Amino acid sequence: MTAVRKIFSSRQMVTVVWIIGLVVAWEIAASVVQHTKRTPEYVLPHIYQIIDSVFSRDLVNGSQTATQVVLTNAAVTLVRAGIGFVIGSVIGFALALLMHMFLPVEKIAFPYLMIIQMIPILGMAPIILAITRDIDKSRIVIAAILTFYPVATNTLAGFKAVEKEKLDLMYSIAAKKKDVYKKLLIPSSVPYFFTGLKISAPMAITASILVDTLQGGGGLGCMLSQSLKHAMSIYVFWQIVFFSAIVGILSFYLMSLIENWCHPIRK
Amino acid sequence: MENSCLNMEASTLKIDAPGRIGGSKAKGMKRIQVNKDAVKTVMYPVLFGVLILILWQTQLLHKILGADTFTLPLPGRIINIILGNVPAILKNVQATVIVAIGGLVLGSALGYLLGIVAMAFPKWGYGGISIASAFTAVPIVAIAPILNNLTKDFSDDPHVRSMLAKTLVVMITCTVSMGINAYRGFTELKPFSLDLMKSYAAGKMTVFLKLRVPNSLPYVFTALRISVPASIISALVSEYFAEYIIGVGRQIRESIVLAQYATAWAYILVACVIGILMYAILLVVEGVALKGRR
Repeated sequence: MTAVRKIFSSRQMVTVVWIIGLVVAWEIAASVVQHTKRTPEYVLPHIYQIIDSVFSRDLVNGSQTATQVVLTNAAVTLVRAGIGFVIGSVIGFALALLMHMFLPVEKIAFPYLMIIQMIPILGMAPIILAITRDIDKSRIVIAAILTFYPVATNTLAGFKAVEKEKLDLMYSIAAKKKDVYKKLLIPSSVPYFFTGLKISAPMAITASILVDTLQGGGGLGCMLSQSLKHAMSIYVFWQIVFFSAIVGILSFYLMSLIENWCHPIRK
Repeated sequence: MENSCLNMEASTLKIDAPGRIGGSKAKGMKRIQVNKDAVKTVMYPVLFGVLILILWQTQLLHKILGADTFTLPLPGRIINIILGNVPAILKNVQATVIVAIGGLVLGSALGYLLGIVAMAFPKWGYGGISIASAFTAVPIVAIAPILNNLTKDFSDDPHVRSMLAKTLVVMITCTVSMGINAYRGFTELKPFSLDLMKSYAAGKMTVFLKLRVPNSLPYVFTALRISVPASIISALVSEYFAEYIIGVGRQIRESIVLAQYATAWAYILVACVIGILMYAILLVVEGVALKGRR
């Protein structure tokens, strides 16, 4: 009896009950929609219909099933998002390091880092596409821009959060500047660096999908808008919605996983 | 996921530098030093900005980026376009700002209510909020078309129903960060303050109104610092998908489809100004509301 109660009061149970609740709410809404709208699958299809379409073998565009369409295009989008994400995080970390090493660099860059947070970068996606003239390049550039500033600001905050006593200790043992960075500052900024990565990973994916919608040539966003324009089965759209949601969430947990792997001592 | 909503505070707040290597200056020097520093703090970024503008106007920037004056027009031309199209731009700004602020207010209010519910039922409520926080990772691109379809039957006027759809998108993006931060504001009280209230035999309602609500105020602003920029971004992006063609974001896209890059740049500049202005207003309000607290 106590074992059952324990299971019911665990944290996982809370999560499971919430998810079941959401599914039930969705299904009720879907049933209502089914009886009131003319094209229910465009508004809110049943979840089983979406799952059914994942395993269906019907071709949606002549040569591929819905799942194949989603997966092949996802590869295009995610690889670009990933390249941009890596470039952006390297630049962000390097900038934070430079800002901490040289005061003038920080004075110059910090206000712009603050301003860039308030600027809607995603709104600039079309113009970056126009400048680079290449959908792949612009996906990478936008993902990199969106990644670089959360990483830079958080890493800089990490450098500054190092206790003064530790710096004094390094000073008292006459540590070289290089060693101070290697042994103290960079290791202690790692959690902050990952905070930046966790913020920017879902953003990079969102950006990449958004850039897709601007032009043809493959990618999740492109398929999403084609599906909405009745060019192929609407279930492609619903699969992409779920797929991008899951990938967005997974990207966050992937960062946590890498963080734990890099920093095993951390709780 | 809650980390992502909370640690932005760390990134935006820590401007002062405590532990720079090399030690601090003597106290007598401090006054002069501060003035010199202040001048440097303003001068360096301004000089940098001016340098970029000069590079841009003299077209050296175009050579570096490999662009031409057609896709990357000169700053003077962009300013001219803005000055020449004030009424049209204002109409679009109005549409975007109404959506952004409407969604921000609705989403924050809903998030605050969720925070209260989560506080009242900590176990189930907090579990719910952490699930909801997973939804912040869902791309706006996926939410916007769904809501467009959902609101199709709401009104016969495409302007009204696309406004509603856009506002709902913004609302969704703003709710979660407020929910999490409000919950933290209600529960992370000063040590012993709850015991003190108990010793006064204060009821639950009194504790809520006199202790928890004031305590949550700084957390509300932490949430707003995240949601104000987010609200503008999602307003712009949801305009891309909306039925009715209006708004700054949509104009950026439409101008590029028509190959009018200078106009697109003008709207981008306007979008940046909206973003910076709304953040500045938030900072002023925060300064007034939290006066004497920090």
